Amino acid sequence: MQNALLIGLSRQMTLERQMDVIANNVANVNTNGFKADHSLFEEYLNSNAHEDNFVGSDRRVSYVQDRGTYRDVGQGPMEATNNPLDMAINGNAFFAVQANGAERYTRDGKFALSSTGQLMTSDGNLVLGTGGPIVFQPTDHDINVAPDGTVTVLEGTAKTDSIRGKIRMVTFDDPAKLTKLGANLYSAGSANQQTDSKSTVQQGYVEKSNVNSVGEMSRMVEVMRSYTAIANLLQQQSDLHKSAIEKLADVPA
Amino acid sequence: MQALHTAATGMAAQELNVQVISNNIANLRTTGFKKQTAAFQDLIYEHVRRVGAQASDQGTILPVGVDIGGGVKTVGTPRSMTQGTLSQTGNDLDLAMSGEGFFKILMPDGTYQYTRDGTFQMDNQGRVVTAQGNPVQPTITIPNNASGITVNEQGQVTVTLPGSSSNTVLGQIGVTRFINKAGLQPVGSNQFTETTSSGAPQDGTANSEGYGKITQGSLEQANVDVVSEMSDLIAAQRAYEMNAKVISAADQMMQSTTALFR
Repeated sequence: MQNALLIGLSRQMTLERQMDVIANNVANVNTNGFKADHSLFEEYLNSNAHEDNFVGSDRRVSYVQDRGTYRDVGQGPMEATNNPLDMAINGNAFFAVQANGAERYTRDGKFALSSTGQLMTSDGNLVLGTGGPIVFQPTDHDINVAPDGTVTVLEGTAKTDSIRGKIRMVTFDDPAKLTKLGANLYSAGSANQQTDSKSTVQQGYVEKSNVNSVGEMSRMVEVMRSYTAIANLLQQQSDLHKSAIEKLADVPA
Repeated sequence: MQALHTAATGMAAQELNVQVISNNIANLRTTGFKKQTAAFQDLIYEHVRRVGAQASDQGTILPVGVDIGGGVKTVGTPRSMTQGTLSQTGNDLDLAMSGEGFFKILMPDGTYQYTRDGTFQMDNQGRVVTAQGNPVQPTITIPNNASGITVNEQGQVTVTLPGSSSNTVLGQIGVTRFINKAGLQPVGSNQFTETTSSGAPQDGTANSEGYGKITQGSLEQANVDVVSEMSDLIAAQRAYEMNAKVISAADQMMQSTTALFR
């Protein structure tokens, strides 16, 4: 009798968490390099009571639980900024950055310079090149980033390019294993990293969030309606319960 | 319900975004103005089920975890220091910088400020000053009987004095650059001050060693692109509305729960 309430409740709890995931996607609809999350659900079968004396065995009660959130690693749209230090990756790779002494990964290519000329993220984390941080000289101008990530500049009065480093691009065999740390950073966790050769850097662009707002809005409506539908179901179940008690206890005089 | 707070961070972020965009649009016609863009980051995640955790005694590893994000924060409003277009004014003392560098201005308190706004005038002593009356560095004083003021691409100021057939060089307008010009702090009046993030100022000569060149009789316009600002504004407004929708949806969900079992 109470199972229907509990099953409904299990669904409501997962819907609430799905709503949280949607809310986070929508909140980050303008976050550079953000990758949307989606919820996954699975059936959770309750172990049944073992009673062999019945003709038919008990049916197991099927609950729902959220198994995971998977990440949509698809490419976000590119926005032209004309800023020579803004970079977007076309492909699956990530920028490698140095954050709190560890190597982290990001798709947010809104870079800046430090007072010592080092290339860094908006947060002040160093962007790593294939040979360490990328450092510019005070007289450098006309910064150019080639599709393969090679950073060249004209230094002072020089007429030929000087190389300042090469942006390190890293891919993962299973990007779903990357853990989101917030601040647009990912940690590798158990994912195996490889040096990427297929992705290209686009200078003067930033990758916007890949959140599909129409999809999120329709999912949100779906979640809300399912949630209220289950609330109604719980109400009906409760009413049924109540009326059963009232009717059965109503002993005719 | 987390979704309410998450959406609230989203609304706050978009509100700030609109503020930044409206300041860009307000300064559409401000000489030497450099536009800003708001940059956002996601907040930390609550790992309800951690990815890579062991799911069973048989050693099954979870391929994905349940990560619930807490919303968005503003990380900064970086300034885009790209070149603005030059517009001709024909004024002798209107100077535009194309390329790297800033004009150096001496403030009344003895400190220096830096600007890309080359709307200069002469004060009562003949000094070349900004619209606020602060002298451009190094100070150049133009005699009141001088005619034919010329500023060349290096910033050298020459005039013709009466009774002289040749030009007289009065001095050279300086140009200063910073390794991280986006790290300069705006102080209003189209001027910036040095910060620890911008690096130390490096004075130099215009049109040499990567320093920008000076164009006389022109002014640098704001680098604001109206069309992209308007589309950003619409995007920000829609994002704000979407977050508001999330709040009302979460509210309805909570309502349906509190209405249960009356």
